[in-house]
Amino acid sequence: MDFTIRAATLEDCKDISRMILELAEYEKASDQVKITQRDLEQDGFSKNPFFHGIIAEVPEHHKSREGHTKVGYSLYFYTYSSWKGRAVYMEDLYVMPEFRGKGIGKALMSKVSQLGLAAGCTQLNFTVLDWNKSSLDFYLKQGCWDVTSDLGYHCMRCEGDALEHLAQGDL
Amino acid sequence: MANFNLRKAEPKDVPDILRLIKELAKYEEMEDQVILTEKDLLEDGFGNHPFYHCVVADVPAEHQKVEGYSVIGFAMYYFTYDPWIGKLLYLEDFYVMKEYRGFGIGSEILKTLSDTAVKNRCSSMHFIVAESNKASIDFYKRRGASDLSLQEGWRLFRIDKENLLKMSAEE
Repeated sequence: MDFTIRAATLEDCKDISRMILELAEYEKASDQVKITQRDLEQDGFSKNPFFHGIIAEVPEHHKSREGHTKVGYSLYFYTYSSWKGRAVYMEDLYVMPEFRGKGIGKALMSKVSQLGLAAGCTQLNFTVLDWNKSSLDFYLKQGCWDVTSDLGYHCMRCEGDALEHLAQGDL
Repeated sequence: MANFNLRKAEPKDVPDILRLIKELAKYEEMEDQVILTEKDLLEDGFGNHPFYHCVVADVPAEHQKVEGYSVIGFAMYYFTYDPWIGKLLYLEDFYVMKEYRGFGIGSEILKTLSDTAVKNRCSSMHFIVAESNKASIDFYKRRGASDLSLQEGWRLFRIDKENLLKMSAEE
């Protein structure tokens, strides 16, 4: 199937927002999405963006059942490893169910890798849920390795009240 | 010994930052993994588009316990993005030299970072910890951090440069 991979623009935020919700539903967490299309526009397309996006698009005659031609996306940003230096973090990777199995996911990930390498990065990092077997298999096939499993690193979070208390110096 | 000062890192701190990165890596039994140089740190942290930010803790000359060093602790962080909740602060490294622990320096660094997170409208602070590092896990849990790997099943994955190159070359 014919498809193109290109950099996301402000106009893509409506579809990115739609697909973010679809991905959240797939991860059984759609009630956790607080970010709106407007937030995405401000946070990703202003002078100092907090993320970058790429879109997978199909021609009009291949559009989805609901009429969408933007059928996949990836959101990424640059991070830093105190051991190795510049790194790229792939925050989201998603292809609509009816467009899977055609190499679109792989092409999106390949694009993020190219962009990361061009920016001088030596690592691509991302997280996967342990029950997401098809994604785990896909990533392992691309040569990724499970840092949590191999090195025992756990992802931690401090948010809400805990973050506020920490900021005020309460214990 | 209560006298210490927390401040934003400057280019002149780069040799000390690298020294402390290596000390922390040694503590994690990973010192051979650090390939970052002073030149990388200078370019990546103090150029036009910094990949990271740093705060350092220093002590006045009369309180130096270790010959020649006045910078005795640091934290390296950057801003990331969660498409569900927006901006986050990611804590990459956080370390206080052994001789200076137990004086509240670590707590003060964490307080400063949390304050930075809140001021920058970040909804959360994220970081990783090795599951074998019981002392650090307890330190963070006491301050309200939750273990996402245990609670939600998130696993950190990585692709290293060799496989990144292979992936970016695929059509």
